[in-house]
Amino acid sequence: MYLYLYDSFLNNKKYNSLLARIETRLTDLGIGGKIYRLSPLRNVNDLLADEVKHGIKTVIVVGDDKTFTQIINAVAKLDIILGFIPVGNENKIAQMLGIGSPDQACETIAARIVEKVDLGQANGTFFLSNITVSAGDVTIECENNYRIKPQGNDQVCICNLRPILANAQNQTNYFNPQDGHLEILIQPITSWFENAFKKSAQLKKSIIPFKKIAIKSKTSLSVITDGQRVLKTPVEVEIATEKLKIIVGKKRMF
Amino acid sequence: MYKFMFKKENGEEIETIIGPSVQVEGNFVANGDIIIEGTVSGSIKTEKNLRIGDEAKIFADIWAANAIIAGEVQGNITIKEGLELTSTARVFGDVKTKTIVISAGATLQGKCLAGEDKRAKAEKIEEKPKLPVINREKIQPMAEKIK
Repeated sequence: MYLYLYDSFLNNKKYNSLLARIETRLTDLGIGGKIYRLSPLRNVNDLLADEVKHGIKTVIVVGDDKTFTQIINAVAKLDIILGFIPVGNENKIAQMLGIGSPDQACETIAARIVEKVDLGQANGTFFLSNITVSAGDVTIECENNYRIKPQGNDQVCICNLRPILANAQNQTNYFNPQDGHLEILIQPITSWFENAFKKSAQLKKSIIPFKKIAIKSKTSLSVITDGQRVLKTPVEVEIATEKLKIIVGKKRMF
Repeated sequence: MYKFMFKKENGEEIETIIGPSVQVEGNFVANGDIIIEGTVSGSIKTEKNLRIGDEAKIFADIWAANAIIAGEVQGNITIKEGLELTSTARVFGDVKTKTIVISAGATLQGKCLAGEDKRAKAEKIEEKPKLPVINREKIQPMAEKIK
């Protein structure tokens, strides 16, 4: 049985025809199911717990990156499969999962290639993509063995999927959510001039795989998980291996 | 000589990169290859390959399978297979490795043990047992008695 969770921004009239098309396609493919519209008043954790009791095995999120990353924290605690139909402007996670347009997403869900992926966990909050640490005097303690001290103006990012915000598109061999590691990505903030004319900005980056770290700072700094939830330092980050079962496309980037 | 150990920058072998803006303190242990362009103090340990860039500063003991050093190292280096010191390398510490390549211009101040410890042992020349000396004066009267 399928459960479809629609984000509240899809209540806008401009999405009506698109949603009608998606629903028709899903029915044609024989994968129709219950539809719930998310709202700030509806508790997703309770909703999903109830639906799992009633036999729901697959939850499909219809919305953008923001919707998808919000649902992950609720889904990670349950034994269900998560799918994604990207609608809206911010859909970089969908690209990484190999899901293209909403129509292609319907086909992908019907094809049902399920992969187990790792999640990151920061002070108990799960994240799929990355967490960013705001600029400041940060110390990262890794595996209780060594300490990493970036310079004050470095951008520090903890990645599971290939970074969306950080410019690391060439790093094809890193950021695999199935390798049992998270990666610390530290890169100096450079101007466009430096990026364009100075040689090999690639070499200035630091990429350090790890399983468990603690991010500490003298003054309290913000740590943002998946561009959503704001935590304050100190933050403990660790890998939760094969935590999420997710439907992916053939063109996935891992 | 040992450049085959690392693929190019975007290759698939590189696992840990410490950039020039980063300082690491403590026992740095990695399972894969390591590239260091920054500063490390403590110790560095990997079962695979290590490359130390020309701007890197290492105040640590090093254990690795193979290593290319182009920067400054203050500490002892133990390499299982091959070590290459490029012309910009400055090493202040003892080095132990199977094979070593030192380019012209490299600094190495310390004890260097290179090659396998397969020394031939000096064989002792065994002395032949001396034959008993026959005393003819004693034997002659005995021979005459037999006759």
